[in-house]
Amino acid sequence: MIKLTRIDDRLVHGQVAMTWTPALNADCLIVANDKAANDDFMRMTLGLAKPASAKLLIKSLADAIIFLKDQRSQNFKILILVNSVKDAAALATEVSEIQSINFGGIRTKEGARSIAKAIALTDDDVAVIKTMLAKGLELEVRQVPTDKKVMIETLI
Amino acid sequence: MLITYLLLTLIAVFGHFEDFLGTTLLSRPLVLGPLVGLVLGDVNQGVMIGATLELIFIGNIKVGAAIPPDIITGGVLGTAFAIMSHKGPAIALALAVPISILSEMVISGLFVFRAVFNKQFNQYAQEGNYKGIQRLHILSGLLKPLLMGIIIFLALELGSTAIRSFLDLIPAWVQSGLQVAGNMLPALGFALLMNLMFNKRVAPYFFLGFMLAAYLKLPIIAIGGLGVIIALIVTQQTPKPVAANNDDFDFEDAPAETQPIEPQHQLSKGTLRKLFFRSLTLEANFNFETWQNTGFAFAIIPVLKKLYHNKQDMAAALRRHLQLFNTSPYGSTLIIGITAAMEEQNARDQDFDQESISSVKLGLMGPLAGVFDSLFWGTFKVIAAGVGTSLAIKGNVLGPLLFLLIFNVPHLLLRYNLTFIGYNAGTKFLQNLSKSNVMDKLTSGAAILGLMVVGAMPATLMNIKTPLHIGSSSSVVSVQSILDQIVPAMIPLGLTFLVYYFVKRQVKTTWLLLGLLALGFAGSIINLFV
Repeated sequence: MIKLTRIDDRLVHGQVAMTWTPALNADCLIVANDKAANDDFMRMTLGLAKPASAKLLIKSLADAIIFLKDQRSQNFKILILVNSVKDAAALATEVSEIQSINFGGIRTKEGARSIAKAIALTDDDVAVIKTMLAKGLELEVRQVPTDKKVMIETLI
Repeated sequence: MLITYLLLTLIAVFGHFEDFLGTTLLSRPLVLGPLVGLVLGDVNQGVMIGATLELIFIGNIKVGAAIPPDIITGGVLGTAFAIMSHKGPAIALALAVPISILSEMVISGLFVFRAVFNKQFNQYAQEGNYKGIQRLHILSGLLKPLLMGIIIFLALELGSTAIRSFLDLIPAWVQSGLQVAGNMLPALGFALLMNLMFNKRVAPYFFLGFMLAAYLKLPIIAIGGLGVIIALIVTQQTPKPVAANNDDFDFEDAPAETQPIEPQHQLSKGTLRKLFFRSLTLEANFNFETWQNTGFAFAIIPVLKKLYHNKQDMAAALRRHLQLFNTSPYGSTLIIGITAAMEEQNARDQDFDQESISSVKLGLMGPLAGVFDSLFWGTFKVIAAGVGTSLAIKGNVLGPLLFLLIFNVPHLLLRYNLTFIGYNAGTKFLQNLSKSNVMDKLTSGAAILGLMVVGAMPATLMNIKTPLHIGSSSSVVSVQSILDQIVPAMIPLGLTFLVYYFVKRQVKTTWLLLGLLALGFAGSIINLFV
């Protein structure tokens, strides 16, 4: 069962290990990221940050989709982490169980503008977001579980 | 009065200076409360009020860019007004909570505003002007203590007469209601801590801590000691994790060998020591756009000065380190040390891939924040606050001192040594860590220890009783004495679990706070609780 799909460009870090994992009772973290899946250094550092109470899987986007579509993944309480709006949209398109996406942290970059404390979006991101909204997905901004959900359509 | 107000303002400014002093918890109410008491001539009250506020804000932590209520401003003002009006901890609490929430908004605004300096920082970097970066880092960092100092001084100077006459109007029943509510509020803090640590696997340790405190009346420091022993025994006996099974649900944890970074160490011990000291200002210029970037640059500059002697190289390096950065301050020196080694290699080797410095930095900052935030906020802070408040609540000045020592002795020792480990062993150190099961042992041991202390807290630190009696006038039995015979501290434990239940259901903290206040008031009026 997918408990949360989160966009966070730091993937696994303090907020994820200390607040989200316990709040969701998640027992399986999936990092769905092509770069991380093939980068030993990233795999190692993500492994260090893993909370003791959960498993950590680091998979490419394609493998993550296969995993999530497999019936057996229903046995886990899953927290999915991606690092970009694009990847989140790709997952949501393939995995129908994902009806809501949490925007946790997207750092600012060239051509991006800040829409919330920890979220900066490019025009491309906004275009992807609009497609997702049109499909009826819930897109909410929260850094930690106790924050109030702010819907992304009110910010862009 | 003016001098008193100035001194109180200085205390709050000192609290806000924590960002320059390594996030060493100097800013907590438990530490600032006694100082406020000292200025107002009643250290004892200051210590007790500080402990009360500490308990209420015990679950209040700073992770990532999520900013908790500003307990420095709220705590100092609340404590000061409560002592000046002789109204006790309940009034301090009634003032501190709203003030700290308001003040957090001001600080969030400042964190947004600080981003405007980033243009100037980048300009300095272009010019290779590291002195400019250092200066602006400190100046922008000073804005927070200065701004909050002005606000606090104005609040004292303009508001104290009004607030004191307002406090005089508060009728006795409101005050006793606040008293009871104040005694209940720690349940919220404990529930928030449980939310960080409690799960089925480690639940027994919570109850072990509770029983040691409730039945055996052990002080928290003893329970912490026992916790260390039990954590050591348990983690030594944990069997090695079973190898991954053969279906395709591979739970791979052990990554393959990566290219180790082999530095030739030439930086002196003195230079590395500077990195440690400068890392203490990591959070001074925290902002919502690039977070701790200038703190990182400030820390690494002594190395850059040693390595790069022409303007062009220096400019490139400065630009590299003004990129966004955010990690746990407690483990930051590990990344700073590793970065120093990589910069050294870059300076020596023409073909070195400069991009790899940034990617290692950015790759490590998130995961290590997870490791060190959990360890320090989840374990050391919990034990330090448990021991510290249990003494301070009785007016013992040793409480704040032990609080600072229990947290900062391990913190500063580790932080200092990690600088050298990072520099000398580089990423190899992390590889060895991830290959062994040391991290697993550490996290599960820390969870056991932290949870035992949290379990002891409702029994030791919450003072809620019922004055109810049953029976006729000839043979009156107090309900509390019956409860005490079954489970001592049953009411505090029950309340803590009640709040935890709602926390788990994602009820907002503010609602829980108001709910507990209402329950305390109602309970006090109908004489259910004292």
